Amino acid sequence: MYRTAAKRLLGAGLTTSRLLRSTIIPSSYTSNLCTSLMGHTESPIINQSGPTAASSSSSSSTGTGEGPRRKPRPEFEEEQARVLSASLRHVARLGWTEEAMMAGSRDVGVSPSIVGSFSRREAALVEYFMDECLQLLIDRVDSGLDLQNLIPSERIPKLIRIRLEMQVPYISKWPQALSIQAHPVNVPTSFKQRAMLVDEIWHTVGDGASDLDWYVKRTVLGGVYSTTEIYMLTDDSPEYRETWAFLDDRVKDAFDLKKSIQEAKYFAQDIGAGVGKSFQGLMNGVMQTMSTRGGGSTSAF
Amino acid sequence: MALRSISRRFGSRVLSYRSSSVASLHSHATSFGFQQVKEEEKSKLVGNVFTNVASSYDIMNDVMSGGLHRLWKERLVGKLSPFAGMKHLDVAGGTGDVAFRIFDAVNSVKRRALRKVDEDSLEETQIYVCDINPNMLNVGKQRAAERGLGDNKALVWVEGDAEALSFDDNSMDGYTIAFGIRNVTHIEKALAEAYRVLKRGGRFLCLELSHVDIPVFKDVYDLYSFKVIPNLGELIAGDRESYQYLVESVRRFPPQEKFATMIADAGFEKVEYENLVGGVVAIHSAIKL
Repeated sequence: MYRTAAKRLLGAGLTTSRLLRSTIIPSSYTSNLCTSLMGHTESPIINQSGPTAASSSSSSSTGTGEGPRRKPRPEFEEEQARVLSASLRHVARLGWTEEAMMAGSRDVGVSPSIVGSFSRREAALVEYFMDECLQLLIDRVDSGLDLQNLIPSERIPKLIRIRLEMQVPYISKWPQALSIQAHPVNVPTSFKQRAMLVDEIWHTVGDGASDLDWYVKRTVLGGVYSTTEIYMLTDDSPEYRETWAFLDDRVKDAFDLKKSIQEAKYFAQDIGAGVGKSFQGLMNGVMQTMSTRGGGSTSAF
Repeated sequence: MALRSISRRFGSRVLSYRSSSVASLHSHATSFGFQQVKEEEKSKLVGNVFTNVASSYDIMNDVMSGGLHRLWKERLVGKLSPFAGMKHLDVAGGTGDVAFRIFDAVNSVKRRALRKVDEDSLEETQIYVCDINPNMLNVGKQRAAERGLGDNKALVWVEGDAEALSFDDNSMDGYTIAFGIRNVTHIEKALAEAYRVLKRGGRFLCLELSHVDIPVFKDVYDLYSFKVIPNLGELIAGDRESYQYLVESVRRFPPQEKFATMIADAGFEKVEYENLVGGVVAIHSAIKL
């Protein structure tokens, strides 16, 4: 939970996601510790990243109460995470809505008013879920997922399958989540989350033998992931067999596409070489005739 | 001592931002606009102001802000995000503007959602409107009757002091105070009371006229405040002094950052503020955790 919160706060770069995992000490946690030790009511001003209301400035600070005799109060981030986590249980019934979050807040023992303070309400829930799934995926991989015996074009479907299976409990409401993620306001965050997911998958797969660009790799995988995700929404087969078959086909296509592009490149190079040679020959001929003619003409004088 | 007499001489016509240091004399003196008055007197003087303006309060609001105050209150209620079954307290909300908006938000739009969530129907929405001035409350009750809400149990009109609320600890889901906190003698006490009555997770929202920093606009705003508004007050409400008090009290109120710090000192978390119209109005929001 801290990792994901810290990742989002720091706006983690795509390639540093692995580094962050091992060296997290969330700044908010340490400051809470310091202020409760000092028994101080003065609060450090921590700038919260993330979109706030449209007009100019906003600032946020955390207060920790009267002194050491009161137990240290939870940070807002923690509380938000707890509410969102509890809300997920209600999503299957109520959808990705404020009602689900209010039900979740009641479960935690907090007034539902707190939901009003989450930035971009429903999107907060969806984004929390996406972060949690990514974290689960990383944990699965870390806890020894066996990928050694598989070639890249088989590892990728396996990883995508693990990730998509996490969405199965919410599949009935997943179209709503997708539409929330597609709102222009929410697109930057959802795009970043998907990019992190795709990056993570490529890291795990390890760099296969391919000449494609870094961006192209991730774009292609992003496309495969999204199309499979959408296919899954309308799949009625038992245990989503058809979705996995679709996934395998798409991954194969992607790899075939890679090969085709390579071949096309070589082909173009050959043609270019051929044309270039003949053009060169032509130019040489022209130059020669011109020089002999020129030489001839000058000798006439 | 010297500072006090200097500020008296400066009087109510001259803008002196430097005299804000005098406001730190908490113990026996407080500000009533640009005048220094005894604390006990301030609430009486404020009471007088609002007894005088009660009947034309709404009209004057419209005229002074060009109708914008409605948008500001809409924004406040939007930020609150009211829900069915909530217990809400609107302090200094005499004529009921904010309370009516919350009532509408809860009952019309969200009714569709009510059917979905069964737990909500167990609790009744209660909106308490608290004001220190009975005249303002009467105007509010009248307006409620005009809307057909006179007998509605959801709206409860209570006479009370923001510094000493008669509500139980941890009983409110939301607390709003719109254009009222600058009239309070001890702002810290009002904030502490707000903290006390709110439940865990409850939200504090304050809509208040605040400080403008944008260079040219600031001068335009000052001109408008000190030249136009008292004249409007005289013309429409027949009461120049009350509106003079109003514009002065706005200048004496702490700026956005300072007020945010005061809110955090009261124990609130996630203190934020949003400037509207370049700082003419600011909405401060916070959560009790």
